[in-house]
Amino acid sequence: MLAVKGITKKLPDGRLLLREISFEAKKGEFIGILGESGVGKTVLLRCINGLTTPDSGEVILNEDGNPQKINGKKGQELRRIRRRIGMIFQGSILVKRLSVLENVLTGGLGRISTMRSLLYGFTDKEVQAALSALEKVGVKHLAGRRAETLSGGEMQRVAIARALFQEPCLLLADEPVANLDPKNTEVVLDYLKPLTKEMAIIAVFHAPELVSRYCTRAIAIKDGTVVYDGSPHLSSSVLEYIYGTGPAVKSA
Amino acid sequence: MSGKTSATTGQGDWGYQRYFQRHLLTGTVFLLILGWSVVDLGISPQLFLSGLPHFFNLVREMFPPNWEVLASGKVLWSVLETLSMAFVGTFLGAILSFLLALFAANNLALSKMVRETARGIMAAERALPTLVLILLLVVMIGLGPFSGMICIAIGSVGSLGKLFAEAIETVDPKPIESLESVGANKIQVIRFAVLPQVLPSLIANTLYRFDINLRVALFLGVVGGGGIGFDLHLAMSLFKYADALAITAVIFIMVWLAEKISDYLRKMVIGREVLQ
Ligand SMILES: Nc1ncnc2c1ncn2[C@@H]1O[C@H](COP(=O)(O)OP(=O)(O)OP(=O)(O)O)[C@@H](O)[C@H]1O
Ligand SMILES: [Mg+2]
Repeated sequence: MLAVKGITKKLPDGRLLLREISFEAKKGEFIGILGESGVGKTVLLRCINGLTTPDSGEVILNEDGNPQKINGKKGQELRRIRRRIGMIFQGSILVKRLSVLENVLTGGLGRISTMRSLLYGFTDKEVQAALSALEKVGVKHLAGRRAETLSGGEMQRVAIARALFQEPCLLLADEPVANLDPKNTEVVLDYLKPLTKEMAIIAVFHAPELVSRYCTRAIAIKDGTVVYDGSPHLSSSVLEYIYGTGPAVKSA
Repeated sequence: MSGKTSATTGQGDWGYQRYFQRHLLTGTVFLLILGWSVVDLGISPQLFLSGLPHFFNLVREMFPPNWEVLASGKVLWSVLETLSMAFVGTFLGAILSFLLALFAANNLALSKMVRETARGIMAAERALPTLVLILLLVVMIGLGPFSGMICIAIGSVGSLGKLFAEAIETVDPKPIESLESVGANKIQVIRFAVLPQVLPSLIANTLYRFDINLRVALFLGVVGGGGIGFDLHLAMSLFKYADALAITAVIFIMVWLAEKISDYLRKMVIGREVLQ
């Protein structure tokens, strides 16, 4: 489904942030990405959907045996691939002055013609689908509210609803539960997990116990490279190495 | 002694001295220019005093105002003409300005050439006095409110376009990116991420511009744009000062009301912002 091959990214100040990052993701997988703050997890996700251009390496999305390279694509071609990749941004980024429902509907812009979106021509079917996406994450009652009036957790769930409405084959989620209380963390992750029947999910987490409970696989990044790729149940020595200065470990 | 040390200690006359030195030159230049202008305009007490009898004459002839000119309905019609000249002109100007601003804003990643062209058009308009513009338009289109309306529309592009472009440049870039991430194209991004963010500022600035344009519309009437400005000009030229005073009263009420209404609307648009 997704192949990331040797992604390298230099920062503007010359620091090498990501070095030769490679991994693959298949439908059905729920991959948890771990790593210290500032290690480049967000940048990696951005390289995958082409919001950031890596200095070298390639990202290939393969849906229905039709592999497409993402980097280097522009305009219409890039948009067609992005339509298939959902992204939940760190600190969910909604258009604050639009209603919640409208925000969810924007998830479908990639498949709606320019003319139709200019005339605000969302169909009843699309509105129903958007409402049911909101219902699934438990915030249907907020549909008419302006996005700027929501709490952080509510915004996060609307952002997830938007990604669901987009119907992607790959979902990238940057700390999808960072703003949620323990109960809603479970609600959202319980909801995300079964989606892997239709897609692959790659999500950044800061809590290893959530990775071990919900993910099918864990990838850890340290000093710009993948230092662990395997079972989501990470041992304490591995965790110590990822977040501290413990000795190097081999992938399980 | 360096300025830095005394400034950091917060003592001494450093600030005062520097202030005085910095502004001595500016002040001198300003006074020179002012003095020269007074001489150049030939402003003198005699001139002013010799004008006074004319003034009292004018006032005497103006009173009582001839309210009968309003009875025919012609003046009301002219008021409507002036209002619609300003209204349609401002509306058209706002649309033109928004389109230009989209090209001129430096955060929408259009080509540098397009951006510079759009900015050039706006700067050229700002440098072109309204009087020159209306004279050109009168030659091209002819006398009348239509020329006035076009003049107002074009005349708004320089300032409104610049304000709009600045508003667009300050929008939060993250929602733009989040729409790009689902495969939305440029027009969709503008419609759903840029426009909602800048709309209150666009409306407030356009309303403000309407106040200015109403005065421009009055002035354009004198130059041949029609409307109530023309009526006033005509009355004055024919020495019908009593008529002129009645018309002036109507103009006064019109401008005053228009400003109150646009103030109210502007507060409503901005007030909603503050609340939410
Ligand atoms: N556009 C940019 N310009 C300069 N530096 C950047 C840019 N984007 C990211 N960085 C830097 O790259 C590093 C990695 O950033 P990134 O956001 O990927 O971290 P992260 O792993 O997601 O951290 P966190 O867990 O705190 O979200 C940081 O040091 C950040 O300052
Ligand atoms: Mg991050």
